[in-house]
Amino acid sequence: MYQTPVRRKRKVIKNPYLPELVTITKIIDETPNIKSYQVIFNDPERMKNFSFQPGQVGQLSVFGVGESTFVINSPPTRMEYLQFSVMKAGEVTSAIHELYVGDQIGLRAPLGNWFPYEMMKGKKILFIGGGIGLAPLRTLILFMLDNRDDYGDITIIYGARTPPDLCYKKDLKEWESRSDIELILTVDNEYPGWDKRIGFVPTVLNEVAPSPDNTVAITCGPPIMIKFVLEGLAKLKFQDDHIITTLERRMKCGIGICGRCNIGTKYVCKDGPVFSLAQLKELPPE
Amino acid sequence: MNLEGLREIVSQVLPDVHVFIGYAQGFDPLHATPLFVRTPEDINKLIWNPLCVHNLTTYLPFQKKKVGIVVKGCDSRTIIQFMQEGLIDREKIVIVGLPCRGVISVTKVLKAINYEQINSLTCEGETSVTVITSHGEHRFSIEDVAPDKCKTCQYPTPLVYDYLADDPITSDKPPDAVYKDIHEFEQKPLEERWEYWKKELDRCIRCYACRNACPLCVCQDSCIAETRDPHWITQKLTIQEKFMFHMIHSLHLAGRCVECGECERVCPMGIPVSTMKKKINAEIKKLFNYVPGTQPGEKPPMYIFNVEEKNIEEHKL
Amino acid sequence: MAEIGFIPKDRLRDFLETVNKTIPVYVPCCEGDVVLFRRYAVDNVLCLDRPAHTPPKTIIFPQSECLFTFRFEKDPHDPKKTTIQLAEPEEPSEAIIFAARPCDAKGFTIYDRVYIDTDMPDPYYKKRREKTTIVTMVCPSPSPGCFCTAVGGSPANREGADVMMTELENGYVLESLTEKGKALLLYQYVEDGQAFREAAEAKQLEVKNLVHAPFQKEGVYNISKTIFNSDEFWETEIDKCISCGACTYLCPTCYCFNITDEHAITRGERLRNWDACMFFHFTLEASGHNPRPTKYQRFKNRVGHKFLYYPEKYDGVIACCGCGRCIRHCPVSVDIREIVAHLQSSTSDVSNTSEKEKKGD
Repeated sequence: MYQTPVRRKRKVIKNPYLPELVTITKIIDETPNIKSYQVIFNDPERMKNFSFQPGQVGQLSVFGVGESTFVINSPPTRMEYLQFSVMKAGEVTSAIHELYVGDQIGLRAPLGNWFPYEMMKGKKILFIGGGIGLAPLRTLILFMLDNRDDYGDITIIYGARTPPDLCYKKDLKEWESRSDIELILTVDNEYPGWDKRIGFVPTVLNEVAPSPDNTVAITCGPPIMIKFVLEGLAKLKFQDDHIITTLERRMKCGIGICGRCNIGTKYVCKDGPVFSLAQLKELPPE
Repeated sequence: MNLEGLREIVSQVLPDVHVFIGYAQGFDPLHATPLFVRTPEDINKLIWNPLCVHNLTTYLPFQKKKVGIVVKGCDSRTIIQFMQEGLIDREKIVIVGLPCRGVISVTKVLKAINYEQINSLTCEGETSVTVITSHGEHRFSIEDVAPDKCKTCQYPTPLVYDYLADDPITSDKPPDAVYKDIHEFEQKPLEERWEYWKKELDRCIRCYACRNACPLCVCQDSCIAETRDPHWITQKLTIQEKFMFHMIHSLHLAGRCVECGECERVCPMGIPVSTMKKKINAEIKKLFNYVPGTQPGEKPPMYIFNVEEKNIEEHKL
Repeated sequence: MAEIGFIPKDRLRDFLETVNKTIPVYVPCCEGDVVLFRRYAVDNVLCLDRPAHTPPKTIIFPQSECLFTFRFEKDPHDPKKTTIQLAEPEEPSEAIIFAARPCDAKGFTIYDRVYIDTDMPDPYYKKRREKTTIVTMVCPSPSPGCFCTAVGGSPANREGADVMMTELENGYVLESLTEKGKALLLYQYVEDGQAFREAAEAKQLEVKNLVHAPFQKEGVYNISKTIFNSDEFWETEIDKCISCGACTYLCPTCYCFNITDEHAITRGERLRNWDACMFFHFTLEASGHNPRPTKYQRFKNRVGHKFLYYPEKYDGVIACCGCGRCIRHCPVSVDIREIVAHLQSSTSDVSNTSEKEKKGD
């Protein structure tokens, strides 16, 4: 259903709860239950002036249904559009999956904090992702590839349940062919036509056993995978402040006011979603 | 009210159960509070007097291990209703019955003493209570300050128990008194009743204290009031939504509500919510001759289906 | 007019009526046995001698508020095209909260740090806050459960007040503390109150000693983290809680909310409603995972937020005003003072500091 945009009155005081209208320009079927949506602001000035940091999120609104938080998984170095990957799980994500190219939704962005890429400069980078966990990592990977000289060796360990569940297949192909990244792919079990590694991501991490020297590890994926990955990284003697992860919580306001996504004194929407392991250890166990 | 007898029974029961649920003194002389007894020392904190208004059975459906519990007559009906609906495992509960002649309503006492600061409160047996405030002494008979449910109580002795902590009591209240207030209210013209309920429900803040305190509301965590799939009730705070919530809540309790009165007691805004449930119970009684929570072998009428119902006139086929 | 005014008791209603004609005035009224804030009307039964059941927070932070409306409109010339129109609500009007208690007013200052003093302030709250005048009444006597002095407050506390009101035998002394407060004193029926200044101050001093503090404020900063993080502590401490939202909704300092879209085909609105961290669904994620599935964890978060996390972020200010409503109206009389007192001890075997009050001393 094609929707033409309409000019909306702009108030002098910016209202952080009022979404801006964006239009979907492309939809990519990543996996059976994950789709990526490329959007642009209806207001071309806004699109031109918009900036964000890798790791920041946006709240997408389907008016009448609700809002949900997604990381902006296109990098700030490629601003023809903003991309969000949506896994069908609940009310809002199901409604998003019903949308077509040309449909309008609301966007509140950028929100939250971002990957501390400044401290990663000159170091080796180890990405460990599982399933849709590659979404926030993708932003940073592409950002680093666009600033390749600032960073050392890049290794990516990425796995999913089955080959069809691997996200960003186009990107994976490209990264495989590059000589300045090491890409290690895995799936949980044997699968017809799959001739690469087999094993859970934490197991593969232990097999690859990367060195912690001058390396920052960034991990994102299902909670159970993160748990074992963190254990694995500890065994490999990675330092707590050199392990970065992203947290997920139910969010509503996105600006640290509604009190929902807190863990101790930190709000995942505002002080996160990016946290170092050192920071996480200071929070109450939850 | 045999406190020593009760404590003795609890000390016998305690080794067999994971926890024993009873009453203790609350934050001021007028309030009791539920107590979860785990050690023999805790037993000394147990009390039993007309302050013990809570229906402790609300904790039972969520207990996984063996528990002991004290129940008054009204509370015991909840346990029988649980048994009818399969919500508890009777083997996993040790019930200590407390025959009761009435409890006191905190709201009524506060009103009767004109909200003066209470210095002390003493219950004299089961019949009267003396309250000493900053302004003087007030003496009430329990009957004057009892909640309405006590005035028509048909079951002063628990209907199910493993131990009885005192001598059984027979009710001296006529059965037709139970729904007398409902019938009187129904005589009022429709407009008057409508205005009454609009005024009362306007104060509702949808805190769901009534829902959570109700022992039979076991689907609290996925309540229709909050779900969006299907989206029956919005979050708007209009009188329509409040009516909708209360109507649905009352209907979901049709043939299940044992009239323990907790919903009305806990409402922070003083809304007479138990009246709605009593009205539905009155209808259920008329249609199915069924009183919730009295016979373990029965099944609630809304749970079962009869092809022909004695009191429901269908169209002639 | 001077900065101190005085309204004789028999003129109070006239004053309220006059002000109400210009700016809505919200006063505590009796409805049955319940006291709540309602807009002033001639047939209200004013109730100033006991605190309202519900705090006046709903006047500045409505329980249900429209953030914006949205409308889908089909283009009449091309039915395939639909436009979305978003519209923000009208500006709020001015308001006066009359006879709030110091604890209620302190509640608003708790909100201010979170909603206004931030890089992305909440415009809805900010506008109402700026347009509302708060008249705080000095508490004549404490209610059961009151403990404002234990958390940095008092029955004569001035935090958050635009006007401080003290009841004397024959009338009410009004001291203006802000520009908004000064404006209120200019209304008819407010006489010069200089002569009553001393009596008002004496009264304020007198009431400060009436509230029993079951723990010391300093003790809050010494809460044992070991006990706080112990699952066993919470599983025995908070067995009786039934996870309703009464304590949260009646609390002047609780500010959590939910955002939902309510939709009627071609148009709808996005609402902001109060929410309670005590509910199961509060942190329930779409995947079905819930970081706080048990009531113990949720209650721990509630106490933690008020007594640990908020003070840590905001210079030691405790996000509890000690009004005691949560204790008075809790269906099972959960006593947060007891829990905080237990947290402060270094052993789990604690003498009950509220024992005195239980016995009615």
